[in-house]
Amino acid sequence: MFYREAGQFKSSYNADQAILPIAQDRVFVIGVLAVAFAGVPWFIDSYWVNAIFLPFLAYALAALGLNLLTGYCGQVSLGTGGFMAVGAFATFKLITAFPELNLIIVVLLSGAVTAAVGVMFGLPSLRIKGFYLAVATLAAQFFLVWLFNKVGWFLNYSPTGQITMPSVEVFGVLVTGPRATPAARYLFCLSFVALFALAAKNIVRGRVGRSWMAIRDMDIAAELIGIRPLAAKLSAFAVSSFYIGMAGSLYFGVWLGSAEPIEAFGIEQSFLVLFMIIIGGLGSVLGSFLGAAFMTLMPIVLKNFMVDGLAVEVVTAKHVEITLMGVLIIFFLIVEPHGLARMWQILKEKLRLWPFPY
Amino acid sequence: MNQEHTGNDVLLEVHNISLSFGGVTAIEDVSFDIRTGEIRAIIGPNGAGKSSMLNVINGFYHPQQGSITYKGETRPQMKPHHAASHGIARTFQNIALFKGMSTLDNIMTGRNTVMTKNIIWQALYFGPALKEEREHREFVEHIIDFLEIQAIRKTPVGRLPYGMQKRVELGRALAAEPDLLLLDEPMAGMNVEEKEDMCRFVLDVNEEFGTTIALIEHDMGVVMDISDRVVVLDYGKKIADGTPDEVRANQDVVDAYLGVSHG
Ligand SMILES: Nc1ncnc2c1ncn2[C@@H]1O[C@H](COP(=O)(O)OP(=O)(O)OP(=O)(O)O)[C@@H](O)[C@H]1O
Ligand SMILES: [Mg+2]
Repeated sequence: MFYREAGQFKSSYNADQAILPIAQDRVFVIGVLAVAFAGVPWFIDSYWVNAIFLPFLAYALAALGLNLLTGYCGQVSLGTGGFMAVGAFATFKLITAFPELNLIIVVLLSGAVTAAVGVMFGLPSLRIKGFYLAVATLAAQFFLVWLFNKVGWFLNYSPTGQITMPSVEVFGVLVTGPRATPAARYLFCLSFVALFALAAKNIVRGRVGRSWMAIRDMDIAAELIGIRPLAAKLSAFAVSSFYIGMAGSLYFGVWLGSAEPIEAFGIEQSFLVLFMIIIGGLGSVLGSFLGAAFMTLMPIVLKNFMVDGLAVEVVTAKHVEITLMGVLIIFFLIVEPHGLARMWQILKEKLRLWPFPY
Repeated sequence: MNQEHTGNDVLLEVHNISLSFGGVTAIEDVSFDIRTGEIRAIIGPNGAGKSSMLNVINGFYHPQQGSITYKGETRPQMKPHHAASHGIARTFQNIALFKGMSTLDNIMTGRNTVMTKNIIWQALYFGPALKEEREHREFVEHIIDFLEIQAIRKTPVGRLPYGMQKRVELGRALAAEPDLLLLDEPMAGMNVEEKEDMCRFVLDVNEEFGTTIALIEHDMGVVMDISDRVVVLDYGKKIADGTPDEVRANQDVVDAYLGVSHG
């Protein structure tokens, strides 16, 4: 593969500002999208969709959301699980109260509700930073899950303590519930993820994205050059929560179909998504996807390899998985804080000069 | 923007400013003015209160006493956001760039206060947002050309050598199209060649754009060469104020720099 940035000179700012200034990147992304939209739906079956594609898409959207807040704006959050729960419960309440409402609108509204909740819990960020902020968002995590579990109204007084997504059609095609086809569920989620990944990329390369990164890198200097910390931080919380809320909505509505607050939206979810962006790459849209793919695939690959291949006990395999994850987190935090995305970039830079490294 | 040196219009005036941190007095009853279009140097030994003075001017520090008149409006203290959006930009003694961002993005942040398109347009990256981004990008490219930093446009600033970082920081301040530019030791730690470049940039900014400049600098040669008027602080007090020649001849200044008579 010839992967070269050299020799591609831009003659206008427009071309240089393009979302993917390098032709090979463009081809790559278009190729991935073509396969994702036109190829995968043909062979996807219920194993693939439930075990790999839907978790990947839901987590990718959540990771993207958290990355906007933590990777771009520098505000640590451990509330991801709780915010996903807000999105999920908003979807549940909306779809049961207004069954006629288009599911696309429901998902967007769920994002909006979560954005409002996110801003509320983001308010402390104006005063506290780092570790203390993480603790404050942790409080949000526990409070939200407790609230949904405790207050019957959120569960529509379900005796099992679970919420269940009804079967819903979008433009005449079932996308949720047991009778929806794998391809329909997959394409519904994929469309959201692709669209909002593009929007995220656009936001981070514009004024708002720059003000987030300025706050992340040096908040005092940012304030002195006229960036309002209040607006920057709260907009980051709002947009991030919007994404995470939609992720929660798809996670519950399309993937799981039914959920129990403590189990589905616990603190493990918060950490899982945080690990995704650490491994994938803080401050990178691509990294959010790489991290989500890695964390979704790794357990499956490990399990297949160890349990089926080496005949290791399932419990032992689980332990190996957790240990490996810990090691990887430490590795990335210390050696490569920009994660897989940065490794990919280094590889590109090497290839650019290949075969003559000087 | 003002194209000529009017020489007499006062752009900013500080009156009887006193600032202290707990028991430490950083500035004591200092008054001076900055005229439109001039290069005004602030000099003095270490710890004299020079940086604190700039921080008062752009609202980062709030003085306990005194007032500031900027563009004809008097207030007891400035607010950082107000200062930034009303044409005061600055660089810092310890470079305060956004390390994770490229040179281009750093300078683009300087235009944040004049960019207005909301996040929805930006998410679409279409229509008004695209047009706005392109216009500001064009402006920033002029600054990049002016400062001769085309080659490092896409480099994360954390990887740049010190002298280059100082230059990028000047670029970020210029991007705001300031009326008053505050430079805190823009040439500190530079070699002779880098200093000459920086001097040239400062003079060009002043002449070509008519930007008023207040500058802190320890290199006396530079100060005497490029400034129109000099104010001298020592132990938080103003000890002299005038043209470079007047200041150089002032006995208090000579003593302060030789470290005598701090009784
Ligand atoms: N944020 C602060 N908190 C406490 N004391 C401060 C603070 N900022 C400045 N000071 C004190 O105020 C005095 C003046 O400091 P300032 O930085 O203004 O000096 P300066 O003239 O810029 O010196 P230098 O040439 O070393 O940069 C010093 O005694 C300093 O310790
Ligand atoms: Mg100083």
